[in-house]
Amino acid sequence: MNAEIQNLRAPAELRHADELARLAEADNAPRPAGWQLSPRAVRRFILGDPKLGVARKFYGDDPLVDRAIVSLMSRQGLMLVGEPGTAKSMLSELLGAAISGTSALVVQGSAGTNEDHIRYGWNYALLLAEGPTERALVPSPVLNAMRSGRIVRFEEITRCPPEVQDALISILSEKSLALPELGADRVEAARPGFNIIATANLRDRGVHEMSSALKRRFNFETVHPIDDPAFEKELVLRQLAERLEPEAVAVKGAEDVAELLVRTFQDLRSGRTAEGASLNRPDAVMSTAEAVNVLHAAALEAAYLDDGKLGGGHVARQIQGVVLKDSPDDGKKLRAYVDHIVKERAARSGLWKEFYTAARALKLG
Amino acid sequence: MVDPAPLHDPLRDVFVVPVRHHSPACAAQLAALLDQVQPAAVLVEGPCDFDPLIPLICDARTRPPVAVVALRQLDGAARRKRATSYFPFSAHSPEYVALRHAHGRQVASQFIDLPSHARAMLFDGEGEPARTLQGDETLFDSGDYVTALARDLGCRDGNEVWDQLFETRIADADWRRFFADVGQYCACIRAATAQSVMETDGTLEREVQMRALVARARAATQGPIVVVVGGFHASAMFGDHPGDGAPVPPSGSEASSYLVRYGNRQLDALAGYSAGLPLPGFYQHWWDWHHCERANGATDDWAGTLIGGFVAHLRGQGRAPSFPVMLSAIEQAKRLASLRGRPLPLRDDVIDAVRSTFIKDEIPRAGAALLQELHGWLTGSAIGDVPPAAGSPPLVEAVRSEARRLRFVVDDGEIRTRNLDIYRKETHREASRFCHALALVGAGFGQRTAGPDFRNDVALDRLFEVWSVGWSPMVEARLIEVSELADSLPEAVIAVIAERIAALAEQGLGRNAEAAIDLFATACRAGAGESAGAILQLVEAEVIEDAELRSVVAALSDAVLLRRGHKVLGISDPAPIDQLMHTIWRRVLVLLPELAAIPADQARPALQALADLRGVIEIARSAGFGFDLGPFDEALARLEAQDLAPAIAGAVMAFALLDGRADGQALGLRLQVELAGAYLDAGERLAFVGGIIAISRELLWTVPQVVEALDAVVGDAEEDDFIAMLPHLRLALMPLDPGEIDRLSTIVAERLGISPDALAQVVAISEDEALRNAALDRELARKLEAEGVA
Repeated sequence: MNAEIQNLRAPAELRHADELARLAEADNAPRPAGWQLSPRAVRRFILGDPKLGVARKFYGDDPLVDRAIVSLMSRQGLMLVGEPGTAKSMLSELLGAAISGTSALVVQGSAGTNEDHIRYGWNYALLLAEGPTERALVPSPVLNAMRSGRIVRFEEITRCPPEVQDALISILSEKSLALPELGADRVEAARPGFNIIATANLRDRGVHEMSSALKRRFNFETVHPIDDPAFEKELVLRQLAERLEPEAVAVKGAEDVAELLVRTFQDLRSGRTAEGASLNRPDAVMSTAEAVNVLHAAALEAAYLDDGKLGGGHVARQIQGVVLKDSPDDGKKLRAYVDHIVKERAARSGLWKEFYTAARALKLG
Repeated sequence: MVDPAPLHDPLRDVFVVPVRHHSPACAAQLAALLDQVQPAAVLVEGPCDFDPLIPLICDARTRPPVAVVALRQLDGAARRKRATSYFPFSAHSPEYVALRHAHGRQVASQFIDLPSHARAMLFDGEGEPARTLQGDETLFDSGDYVTALARDLGCRDGNEVWDQLFETRIADADWRRFFADVGQYCACIRAATAQSVMETDGTLEREVQMRALVARARAATQGPIVVVVGGFHASAMFGDHPGDGAPVPPSGSEASSYLVRYGNRQLDALAGYSAGLPLPGFYQHWWDWHHCERANGATDDWAGTLIGGFVAHLRGQGRAPSFPVMLSAIEQAKRLASLRGRPLPLRDDVIDAVRSTFIKDEIPRAGAALLQELHGWLTGSAIGDVPPAAGSPPLVEAVRSEARRLRFVVDDGEIRTRNLDIYRKETHREASRFCHALALVGAGFGQRTAGPDFRNDVALDRLFEVWSVGWSPMVEARLIEVSELADSLPEAVIAVIAERIAALAEQGLGRNAEAAIDLFATACRAGAGESAGAILQLVEAEVIEDAELRSVVAALSDAVLLRRGHKVLGISDPAPIDQLMHTIWRRVLVLLPELAAIPADQARPALQALADLRGVIEIARSAGFGFDLGPFDEALARLEAQDLAPAIAGAVMAFALLDGRADGQALGLRLQVELAGAYLDAGERLAFVGGIIAISRELLWTVPQVVEALDAVVGDAEEDDFIAMLPHLRLALMPLDPGEIDRLSTIVAERLGISPDALAQVVAISEDEALRNAALDRELARKLEAEGVA
């Protein structure tokens, strides 16, 4: 195994290096300048190609992937927006890995992000010793991407103050960056292949507005939670397997429990059960990523603290950690869901009965 | 794997062309096929009883979208329970292209499906009356085969699969390959469909008919025959079918059909129409571009033409995006098409491009307003046209020409706002009546958004009536439905009103004069005019059965108001209304003696009815068509002699005074008796006065004994009694307006010998507070007395 894969989580280009290599080999379609793969191969990398043994990595909205790829070919940047946990970052990582061969050029936005993270900073020791030279300049991931004609990712852009975000405006429109310290006329022009994928959450607490000047320079794509239960289940199970493999943990019954879990998440997320009953939606984010976390934790509990058979009870005990985060009312909403919807299902299915019994024992407020 | 259906049967020299309804690519390829094959006959899937309409469909003045609408009787149902179904044609319908080809070359053409009245055509797979007479094409979108194919091709649904596989080939040179592929695709869909489904939804039965008519045409024609059928049926047109019987002949009496104008909005598969492609406006643009612009070499930029068209549409609403955004969308659409392996951007590429580039924000799951606008634009609002002699029923012609005369636009489906100056302009009044009439008929032509409401006495100060109106094929379709009952709009109104009167009993409103006259008034407002007499008997039948005085009086009031305003309503001969009015009046007289049986606690509605009655009598008298009051007075006199509830007794007394049968003296005596009565409840003591005032307030000042009696009661009352009486006194005097209150207070002041101003002081405290204060005052007085300091 590649030494770097031993890391807690390897970047997409390493995790899927084999697939990328196979795709590149089979790829004879024209490539936009600076791209490692043709747009169609990028699409196959993300949406899967059984013939080449490439697994599907993004579920639920294929046209969105098409639009995202095409946007990256244009002069516009790509802005992925949507609720937390909808795989925006994963998608941007996959796009970066497939198009530029790296997903490592990334600005991780936060309240502390400043213009240096977007333009360039200085190695102050060298700056004092040599003055403003090329050697003393510390390029940002954005500048690096411009120089090498690659995709730079900007995570959580709305966590940055608007004036910092706006440093991107001229970079996106002029595709160049002035470096006046290195000479009056010194301008770094972006090489073909350069573009920006930003991810943003527009509705979370503590995020900033985006200026319309900046918005105009992006094509927006909204990533919605997966609403097809079969897709979501497939995804949850796949990610569970990925997480359990390095830990050499095996559990039984994950298939059925994943179905129960996805059903519960879909019900609580949409405020309506598959049978058509209405319910109060918790404020907490019930994303697919959270579902994977719940299933993972439930599997570990089953493996290490139980007999290795995953059941409804394991899920019930883990789910409260997801729901009881934001608002105390959420506990009541979950309780109502358990008391009415789950109870009825418990009468028909053993698995739901386990879930019901364990959930009744929780302190949900 | 499914064997591809052959396109040509060399033994019979029959070409069976599999098509999808309304597909531009199929239409274009079919045109090429017809040009090359030069058939001796063209047979088209469609009800065979529509054959007489073919010349109209092919008439040079016919401009699609149009539809044949068929009215059929449902088995054993009530007379008016009918099924209305459509067989639409757009400019890019293969069927339309085929019929036009045959017509232009004087080649025989006919429809080969079962007659529209056949059972298999009447109901869909679920046993509901079918809305479309074209075969159901939902299998193109939702079948297992198509779903699997969509997944393989990376398409989101069956429509995108169709676009990807076939619409992109609209300009292909090889029609044989094109139709071979369509045939293969449809054969696969058919192979994935259960035999039982085809049995229940009538598919197999229809195919027997199609084969039989093809065989008959073959026997009668020399030369090649082209048969145009839905792709689903193509494979069934070949091979031996020994069990087939003779074709089912059309019957002239069981169905009637008309060629009518149709609209893109109704053609939209997304709107529930099961045969055709979603967003027909898009395919219209696609067809037009290939047929006109591309053919003329005007422009080669399809994406630019389409997206530019949408931007122009937005500009009309003052919200067009900037030029760079438009360019960016065009570029995005082209690149999406190229990524998806299409030579030109199709429907989903264009929608995706606009979605990516126009909207700079998160798009909620429910969608964004701009995308809805795009959907609306891609659906289109075009409405076709049919030749004047299209044989549409007289009612449709009459309404259409009336609409044009009143300057309503009937050439497109746009919704427009129309302000009608109904007080000052006669034509606007006519337009208002026209709108009311169509609303009554249920044609869905317009909706009144503002205006005076005479019926409920609301917003009478508004001078304009505002209507939001839009002509649509559904308006015509509804008129066609009604056309069996009427030839003109006023007649249609009457027919509908007659139906509603008949239905009143089912709604629990049988024998209700008010409900019946309300419908009659509605008919008059809707311009039924002279025809209103036709439902008079029905209304009268309801009136003479009504046992409620209140509703009969309300009906009388409506009738009197109608009579008074008959000219404005366009009724030149008031005789029918007079007749109705007098019928209701007689009913009132019949019901009057029953007042004797009403107990005191239920007297209020009856009192209200009597009060309304007096108002109606006054209106009638002032308008110069008074009632014969002799029998009325007699009835009251007989009532007077009986033991009545106090309020009603007061009312009857008031009528007697007005009529001169009683005088102030008698009233004063009666009042003293009533007011001094040993009623426990103060309210009952004042009920008699209340009855008088309800009927005739003016008695308070024209007959001094009333005030005298009241004064005596109030003056003699103990403090507690007075306070208990006060609310009832107030209730009794409530009908008085401020001027009358002044007048009464002047009389009271004169009696008390004080200045009237002293009584007219405004005290800004609530009634509750005043009562509390008075009680407090008494308490204080008692205390002071007890303390010996009073």
